[in-house]
Amino acid sequence: MKYIITTVAFIGIALLILLAKAISNSDSELISSDSFRILLGLNIFFICSLIVLIAFQIFRLLQSIKKEITGSRLTLRLVMSFALMGVVPVLIVYLVSVNFLTKSIESWFDVKVESALEGGLTLGQKTIDILMSDIELKGKSIAYSIGNSDPEQRNRLLTDLRAKFGIQDAVIFDQDSIIIEVSSEKSDLIPPIPTIEDLERGGREFFGRIEEKGGEQIFLKTFTPILTKNVMSKKLILQLTQPIPPSIANLALSVESVYDEYQQLTYSRNSLKIIYILTLTLVLLLALLSSVAASFVISKRFSSPLAMIADATRQISKGNYKKIISEQGKDEIGVLIRSFNSMTSQLEEATRNSEKDRERLEVARTFLETILAHLTTGVIVLDDKKIIRLNNISASKMLKNKATSMSNKPMTEIISNNLLFKPLYKFVESYIDSNKKNKKEVSQEFKLNKDKEKERTIMLQVTPLNDNKGKSYVLVIDDVSDVTQAQRHSAWGEIARRLAHEIKNPLTPIQLSAERIQHKFKNKLSEEDSEILERSTNTIVNQVNALKIMVNEFAEYARPLKTRKDAVRIDKLIDEVIDLYEIDKIIQIKKDKIIQIIYADQNKLRQVIINLLENSQDALKEIKEQRIKIFIKNKANEVELIIEDNGIGIPDEIIGRIFEPYVTSKETGTGLGLAIVHKIIEEHEGKINIERIKNSGTRVTINLKSGKK
Amino acid sequence: MRFFKKFNIIIIISLSLVVVNMFTFPDENKILIKDVVISNNNNLHYISFNQEISLNYLIREAIDKGIPLVFKVTLKVVEINDIWPTKTIKREVRYYQIRYKALREIYKIVDINGKNYEYKNMDDAIQKILKVEDLEFSFVDKHMDYELWLNVSLERKKLPKPLQVNYFDRTWNMNSEKSIHKLGKLN
Repeated sequence: MKYIITTVAFIGIALLILLAKAISNSDSELISSDSFRILLGLNIFFICSLIVLIAFQIFRLLQSIKKEITGSRLTLRLVMSFALMGVVPVLIVYLVSVNFLTKSIESWFDVKVESALEGGLTLGQKTIDILMSDIELKGKSIAYSIGNSDPEQRNRLLTDLRAKFGIQDAVIFDQDSIIIEVSSEKSDLIPPIPTIEDLERGGREFFGRIEEKGGEQIFLKTFTPILTKNVMSKKLILQLTQPIPPSIANLALSVESVYDEYQQLTYSRNSLKIIYILTLTLVLLLALLSSVAASFVISKRFSSPLAMIADATRQISKGNYKKIISEQGKDEIGVLIRSFNSMTSQLEEATRNSEKDRERLEVARTFLETILAHLTTGVIVLDDKKIIRLNNISASKMLKNKATSMSNKPMTEIISNNLLFKPLYKFVESYIDSNKKNKKEVSQEFKLNKDKEKERTIMLQVTPLNDNKGKSYVLVIDDVSDVTQAQRHSAWGEIARRLAHEIKNPLTPIQLSAERIQHKFKNKLSEEDSEILERSTNTIVNQVNALKIMVNEFAEYARPLKTRKDAVRIDKLIDEVIDLYEIDKIIQIKKDKIIQIIYADQNKLRQVIINLLENSQDALKEIKEQRIKIFIKNKANEVELIIEDNGIGIPDEIIGRIFEPYVTSKETGTGLGLAIVHKIIEEHEGKINIERIKNSGTRVTINLKSGKK
Repeated sequence: MRFFKKFNIIIIISLSLVVVNMFTFPDENKILIKDVVISNNNNLHYISFNQEISLNYLIREAIDKGIPLVFKVTLKVVEINDIWPTKTIKREVRYYQIRYKALREIYKIVDINGKNYEYKNMDDAIQKILKVEDLEFSFVDKHMDYELWLNVSLERKKLPKPLQVNYFDRTWNMNSEKSIHKLGKLN
């Protein structure tokens, strides 16, 4: 587009020069009025072309603005500025020029000049008139002399008088246009025959006229009637031809020529004004439109680097740091572009480093998150306003929050959903709100117990963190219930083992001694004493047996981990136990068709089933419609065994500690049965859970891994 | 080039036509040719005709200011054919003029045959130019009948340059309608 504008502007200027030359009054053959017409047309055509070009440019610019293309508004502002800068001075020059031109043209037609020219012309006319009067007198004098002379003397007289009066040519015609006499300075004169009208008029009266020859010479030609004595003879006419002296003729013709030109110029001054103003207007339009058209090119030249920078800035803001602007020139814009490119490179380098750091950080964070996610310990990061900034899955699970993430939620909101943890929050709140300057890491164990739920032992550790955003606190919440329970079981095992060891040894001698005393003194004592002895020794023996059973149970509980791994079909094992107890009438079994084999110690598993069924039987003693349901299901890599009864159930106050030794609801039980069951299941890496059924009864769920030896 | 794609050639042509139209004012028929008489003698055609030329006060003033008015007489012999376009056989241009000579205060006429006439009175001079007599025109073709197209116009190119180039002034656009006559065979 810029080439088109430049070309059109150059052609327009060339045409204007030719146009200006055409309107000058020089007789240039190169430029005629036809050429002027063509040039005028071409100029107007080019002006129209420029208008179309500018309109197109404006249209494109407005489209660009509409599309919000970077730099278009700047281009518009620059175009307007440049156009204004061009339009205002050119318009002023134009108006001044038009005024000056009009006044200049008017000044050419001064009244004094016109009067002077008219005076000059009149002077020429008067001079010629004087010369004409002089010739008239001479003509009349010659005519009189010729008229009064003899016809034979006419030629000599004519020649003498012509020479005497200094006349160039003298010719006598008769009324029939026949030359009678001729006298001339030129010997070879062949006089032209005057018209009949001239001769007729010349025969009546004197008359003269001015004639031009070749536009350079002026002649005076007079016709004078010759009155002869012989009235009957033909009329004679004297024709005199006298050139006006060249000095006078040239001056007169020159004055006439200037006068004519002046008059023509006066007449055509309005046309002259119109043509000059038209040319000036064309110059103005061409200059204006060229400047406006050029302003588009210049504006784009100025705005395009800025637009490129703006575009590059936008690209950079979107993260494309590889945007490099092509360098342009060595001016300030070039320096700006180089600086921008340098900045972009540095930014790209910094971003690359930052990206690497971010990736490293991301890896570390992912690593930390993975660790935190796989930790069974709950971890929460709180800020000083007790808003959760970070937590792991275990923390959510512990606090029984449905969503995995509790970020940006106040701790109070989370705790309100699980009031069990209120003591923990109070501890944390008091720790955070305390005004101690150098807070140290603190930890505390909490025993949390809720109705119908197992008692939980929670270890809370609070560690203050100092980071850029202020103080943060890391809460490490650890459910140590299992550990505590394991420790308790271990302690109980040790006690049981010692008790078994310390008690079992003297029991047999006691029993034997009691039996010997009964045997030795039974017959030696009176019947009454003998009866007392027998009753006493029986009591001793019974109690010793009872103690033995208890000691055996203790021994069993305290027995070290030593399990065999046999292939066991648990459904078969249950069938065997049920056959043994003959309680199949109240038992309903639901099981999958094929039950997976588990690898376990068959005897111990039998003991587990026996213990659980005995517990169910005990719970059903006072129940009319006794029912025990057994479900055996295959699950993914494990077998699930559920034993349900509709007995009296386990009281709420002990259900949380039901697997602990000596915890029982039965009056006669040792409280070791479920503890042993729990121990055996744990030995087999299985899981056991006891829960109360809503209305009444108990459900025991055991999960044992299958197919693993 | 994208410019020419978007603003196709039709716009450019339209623009050109508008510009050309601005400069091609139709001439007013201010000259009326009448009483045309064509005679033959010695292998020559002699054409005589009268004219009515409406010279308004502006033109009269121009004559008085010494501006010469040159009239162009265009003679065209054409062959008319019903099928083919008209073919020009011969074209001849003659001039006659009227001019005021300030020094001698006369109106000088140079007629169509080049003869000079001088008149003291403008009306007499104008009357002289209105009558064109015995315009010689040689054309020898005895085989066919042709048409003579006669046209008279003011020769604007002979006016002073400001008047020539002032295309907005239509005073000087003087033209006659084409006068068509059968050209008889030469004797």
